[in-house]
Amino acid sequence: MFFHIVLERNMQLHPRHFGRNLRDNIVAKLMKDVEGTCSGRHGFVVAITGIENIGKGLIRDGTGFVSFPVKYQCVVFRPFKGEILEAVVTMVNKMGFFAEAGPVQIFVSNHLIPDDMEFQSGDMPNYTTSDGSVKIQKDSEVRLKIIGTRVDATEIFCIGTIKDDFLGVINDPAAA
Amino acid sequence: MKHRLVKLAARAFYDDITTKGDNQPKTGRSDNRGIAVVVLDALTRRQWVREEDLAKDLKLHSKQLRRTLRFFEEEKLVTRDHRRETAKGAKIYSAAVAATADGHPLKEGEEKIYDVIRYRLHRMKKKLKDELDNKNTVQEYICPNCGKRYTALDALRLISLEDEFFHCESCNGELVAESDKLAAQEGGDGDDNARRRRREKLKDMLQNLEVQLKPLMDQLTRVKDLPVPEFGTLHAWEARASAAVRAANGDSGAIDPSKSSQGLGYGGTSLPFVGDTKVEVDFSGTEGKGENIKSETESSSLKVLPPWMIKEGMNLTKEQRGEVKQELRMDGSSAAVEFSDDKKPTVENDDKKNIQDEYIKAYYAALLKKQQELDEAAKKEHELSNTHSLNGVSDTTSNRQVGIKSKRDEDEGDDDVEWEEAPAAGNSNENYKVNDLNVQADASGDDEDDIDWEEG
Repeated sequence: MFFHIVLERNMQLHPRHFGRNLRDNIVAKLMKDVEGTCSGRHGFVVAITGIENIGKGLIRDGTGFVSFPVKYQCVVFRPFKGEILEAVVTMVNKMGFFAEAGPVQIFVSNHLIPDDMEFQSGDMPNYTTSDGSVKIQKDSEVRLKIIGTRVDATEIFCIGTIKDDFLGVINDPAAA
Repeated sequence: MKHRLVKLAARAFYDDITTKGDNQPKTGRSDNRGIAVVVLDALTRRQWVREEDLAKDLKLHSKQLRRTLRFFEEEKLVTRDHRRETAKGAKIYSAAVAATADGHPLKEGEEKIYDVIRYRLHRMKKKLKDELDNKNTVQEYICPNCGKRYTALDALRLISLEDEFFHCESCNGELVAESDKLAAQEGGDGDDNARRRRREKLKDMLQNLEVQLKPLMDQLTRVKDLPVPEFGTLHAWEARASAAVRAANGDSGAIDPSKSSQGLGYGGTSLPFVGDTKVEVDFSGTEGKGENIKSETESSSLKVLPPWMIKEGMNLTKEQRGEVKQELRMDGSSAAVEFSDDKKPTVENDDKKNIQDEYIKAYYAALLKKQQELDEAAKKEHELSNTHSLNGVSDTTSNRQVGIKSKRDEDEGDDDVEWEEAPAAGNSNENYKVNDLNVQADASGDDEDDIDWEEG
């Protein structure tokens, strides 16, 4: 699920960036530092949408670096148990398959793939129904439901299932 | 019959709950399984009850009881209300009150218990069903070499680049899914067989569950449409209990002994003061100051009220408060001085006076009623006598007149008798009350009243 929230961060800035575009430098550095990171608490920071305010800088003893407390608005993405996501399959193996929904990695074990889909090894490993009409392989797009999340300080990993109504392949890369 | 639900649930789910810490040695004697059931059963027969009283009744150690109750509180079966009785500050936590949120006249309780049990059943079934369909379950993997277990959540770390299997982090052995391993142990011939066996086991469990919990579910469906019995918060309940006693006094009806005794037991605590000062639960140690402040700034309390402080508890009328206040005089007199100083500086004298007034009022009310009854009886008598005289004398109209007249006479006569008796009875009552003020519980006094009415 996506959220638009306000976060705060202390930015350390080298003295060489000081000058008339100090603010731009801070924002640029903030974007570089923060976008794409993941915190267990808020999820993945997708994009910074605005700066609320930049506080007074504090010169660090000894280094000359200055730290600015920056409040910024950003879009975060955090997966939840029970959430339905659309994801792209990245790897298929005997144990199941891995998929990505944006920044988050999802594993679907073979127990959570419908029973009528069989694993086919080979050059392009895939799960296929007996009549061959549905095929899950690398780059397939699937709709899945998250049934478990593991949230670490800097990492979120999910397991999902496609063994439910309306879940499974939503496009066929071969046909496209 | 409504206890049945609780009782069934207690036996189904809390049969083997021990409330013991893990550090205690488990001897046969200290085995307290089944205590939970006993406690729940006892609670179904009560409404709000003090923890100590319950402990005494059950002959349990209060600590043990408290542990059990806390467990039930977590299970949302029991509502507890903490209150401080600052009688000299000696009994600080002793007034922690356990209310059964079950039994008949409990509002939140019964409601909650119904939901708790339903939820529990739902979860049990869902878990088994999910497991049966392999739905929503986190797959587990085991390393056959070192026995290390992983879940599907570790999958990202376990994939290897060489092949398509998961590999153990410590010994690099090939991981197998848990059910597969079961199959391997049982000498089964592959994945499918094991899975089938597992399914059968689960199906059996699900069936057993359906069969064994059938009575409970039947009870649930039976209770479903019944209105939830009113119970209210502790304070509302106390007020009602004492009001019930009052009412019972008034119409000289039979008092439910358990209720009246409980109610009065509770009337003895500081209900109206709590109501006034809006201090129900006090976890911090600053209760003395806080209460005073609050009692002064009662109107300005904009705080969000916790659910147990709902309006009922505070909508006590002045009269009700006054009434109950009298009952406080024995246990709560010292507390009364502390809390209600702004209202009643000389509590004891006022109380006595109030009691007397109240008694006189109640007495006259009862007297009036009695009189009416007597009147009616007299009327009947006269009608009878009229018919008699009708037989004797020929003129009916005159008879009627006589009847009316004599009825009046009778009335007066009745009155005379009553008035003669009244002061005597009243005196005896009041004397009795005043004398007994320091020792006697209210119930006995009220009972005496009833007897007096009967005699009068």
